Amino acid sequence: MPSPRRLIAGLATATVLALALAGCSANASTPGSGSSSETGKPVTGGSLVYLEHQAITGLYPPGAGFYPNGGIVNNIADRLVYQDPKTLEFEPWIATKWESNADATEYTFTIRDGVTFSDGTPLDAAVVAKNFDLYGLGDAARGLTVSEAINNYQSSEVVDKNTVKFHFSAPSPGFLQATSTINSGLLSSKTLDLPFEKFGPGNAANIIGSGPFTVDNEKIGTGLDLVARKDYKWAPKSWSNQGRPYLDKIQITVTPEASVRVGALLSGQAGLIRDVEAQDEKQVTDAGFQVYAAQTNGVNNGLSLRFRNEKLSDIRVRQALIAGIDREELVKTIYTKNYPLATSVLSKTALGYVDTKDAFAYDPKKAATLLDEAGWKLGSNGIREKDGQPLTLVVNEAAPQPRSFDALTLVSQQLKKIGVDLQILKADAGTYAKAIQDANQVQIYHSMVGRADLDVIKSQFYSKNRNTLLNRDNADQSIGDPKLEELLQAVASTADPKARIEASQTVQKYLADQAYVIPFFEEPQVFATANFVHGFSSESVGRPSFDAVWVDKQ
Amino acid sequence: MSVNERETRASSLPDPFVPIRRSLRERIGRPKVSVVLSVVWLLIVIAWAIIPQAFTPLDPIAGNAAQAQQPPSLEHLFGTDATGRDMFTRVVYGSINSLSGALIAVSVGFVIGTAIGVIAGSSRRILDDILMRIVDVFLAIPSLLLSLSIIILLGFGTAQAAIAVGFTSVAAFARLSRSEVVRVRGSDYVEAAFASGGRFPVVLWRHVLPNSLTAVLALAALQFGTAVLSISTLGFLGYGAPPPTPEWGLMIAEGRNYIATAWWLTTLPGAVVVLVVLAANRVSAAIAAKGRIS
Repeated sequence: MPSPRRLIAGLATATVLALALAGCSANASTPGSGSSSETGKPVTGGSLVYLEHQAITGLYPPGAGFYPNGGIVNNIADRLVYQDPKTLEFEPWIATKWESNADATEYTFTIRDGVTFSDGTPLDAAVVAKNFDLYGLGDAARGLTVSEAINNYQSSEVVDKNTVKFHFSAPSPGFLQATSTINSGLLSSKTLDLPFEKFGPGNAANIIGSGPFTVDNEKIGTGLDLVARKDYKWAPKSWSNQGRPYLDKIQITVTPEASVRVGALLSGQAGLIRDVEAQDEKQVTDAGFQVYAAQTNGVNNGLSLRFRNEKLSDIRVRQALIAGIDREELVKTIYTKNYPLATSVLSKTALGYVDTKDAFAYDPKKAATLLDEAGWKLGSNGIREKDGQPLTLVVNEAAPQPRSFDALTLVSQQLKKIGVDLQILKADAGTYAKAIQDANQVQIYHSMVGRADLDVIKSQFYSKNRNTLLNRDNADQSIGDPKLEELLQAVASTADPKARIEASQTVQKYLADQAYVIPFFEEPQVFATANFVHGFSSESVGRPSFDAVWVDKQ
Repeated sequence: MSVNERETRASSLPDPFVPIRRSLRERIGRPKVSVVLSVVWLLIVIAWAIIPQAFTPLDPIAGNAAQAQQPPSLEHLFGTDATGRDMFTRVVYGSINSLSGALIAVSVGFVIGTAIGVIAGSSRRILDDILMRIVDVFLAIPSLLLSLSIIILLGFGTAQAAIAVGFTSVAAFARLSRSEVVRVRGSDYVEAAFASGGRFPVVLWRHVLPNSLTAVLALAALQFGTAVLSISTLGFLGYGAPPPTPEWGLMIAEGRNYIATAWWLTTLPGAVVVLVVLAANRVSAAIAAKGRIS
């Protein structure tokens, strides 16, 4: 045991050090010279330090939706087609052209010549077919799941070396967009034979794609390097850089603390950081640095009310929760203008969006009346009760989402005013993963999902995809609301584009009418770059693309 | 006529048959300013724990979102946090968690540790060896690691964190009390008590235990400060009271992402913890220097 004197001395030293450090970071935030304008000729060479919020969990493309994974896959694997993040239009990438039949049950792609994987093997029709056979059908024996982006997949057919055809058991209108997402990143034949564990942390360097970068020097939980492929020359036409990536290397370092990421950027230790928290944005822009808030164009950040739980099975309780939450105050207090208030379950920039904001209006009086009618009477401690049971609900802290904990704390303060006790689940990974699958433990689920296709709404709520409402009970596999299932199926399997948009709008209205969801805001991915970093961009749901990034400081 | 004069006379002319009885004030001597300040500060913090509503009219859990993230002012002494909760109110209401936790921790360490030490020191046989080797093992494990291991077994929460911290001080209490017991047990009056037919447990209880406790009590006072720090550490790491409970360590943890934009969220609760620990250490040092006060 340290002596008390030494303990005190140590404490005092620590305090002084902490204060000195705080002073340093304040000094570092003085505006740097130069502007972040994109003028000037791109420089080839150099490296960039990129601070990522979380460590990768696996690079199997269909399961790489988690942002740290997706950020890597987006740079090491090419896709058949490229979706312009602004216009959401498609253009050739690995496929030079494509066509589908009228009811979207057959797609034919023509594969570009001369593309190779980073291990030297050619990217031809056969390996493309092998990719989609795995992503479309999964392989339960190896623990590899079906991609949530691909619906109704049946089989592939290699017509010749450059032509591949895909067959579907029912219309699959979202398939073309699916081939452009990171979930359909093309991998080499050898990589596709790996079991699930071999896609996990520690094996990133063995995931072979045809993209502009390869993985090197991975340290589990700490980071990895992306190394440029000097022979890369099959970028989509609209990319500003048609040749090899400008940078030689991107050093990705996992830095979980938001304040440390921002501090490192401001002091010049990092060139690019992800997940600049709302409270730090001003600090970054004041210092003359650039903030990028890429919209994710999908299901908004918000709460899914698990209606199969006894307390939430009464629609009046769900409506009361919606009316009891002041979303405007939430967005104003916790976030910035980069986080627009949600007006539907989908983002305004998502395909098929329809405004349902009237269903989410704040009205605490109405909330109280609804709860009274539902039989939840105000108890002596300010929390409502029914048959001796308090109206206590649990919501998960969504660690990957920006300021989830602060937002939920504020929501819980708002709900307390109408007599609802909202607890926030904060637990270790194992306990957490189990709890969120059980509506009796977590009644309200906080999440979002980004994908620039109408199918995104199905990804979030369909029983066999993310199942955030737990419409399919994990215990007995029963479905609580078959109508919702039917409506979601229609979005994914209607061939006519117009009818498909209508199908998505029907779901949005249904979710609002049934009070199944409380959307908060349209979620951006917020990045910040130092002044010496140019050409940064992100794909259609905000994952970073490093191909055209260059630095003018060495 | 005054008590002082009489006592001065008494001390100048010691009567070998009348035990000298000095007043409390005399025994403490001229109190140092730092000790007085420490005691006053600890009394304030204890008052926070007992009657928090006397210090602040606000609610530690319900915030006012319109006043989120305001710097310290007369209205909000310690500023407000991201959801508009008054930080001073949270610190005041949080004191009960830290103080009661520290009290539990010290009690656990004191009772279990002293029991082990007294049994080991007075038995002086194979039992002594066994107990002391167990204590050796406890001393070999870093205390934070030990408390983390215990809390994983017990589950998260204020009381659990307190017990976990308490266990880490068992070894220190056991070692100290054993050495005191060994010293006292060899003294003449204990031998005399045995010689005049005293039975073992009675002698242990009447003579050995009271006479070996002084040093242990000083250690207990010292451990109080350490325990406040350890409990805050566990709270900081997320093993203590669940949010939104206002617990000091948890508040520091919650504020650490705002260190550049809202320094008061970590700095002020942190300063309170530092001051409580320093004050407790100062008081325990004073106790140790002066010996028995009561």
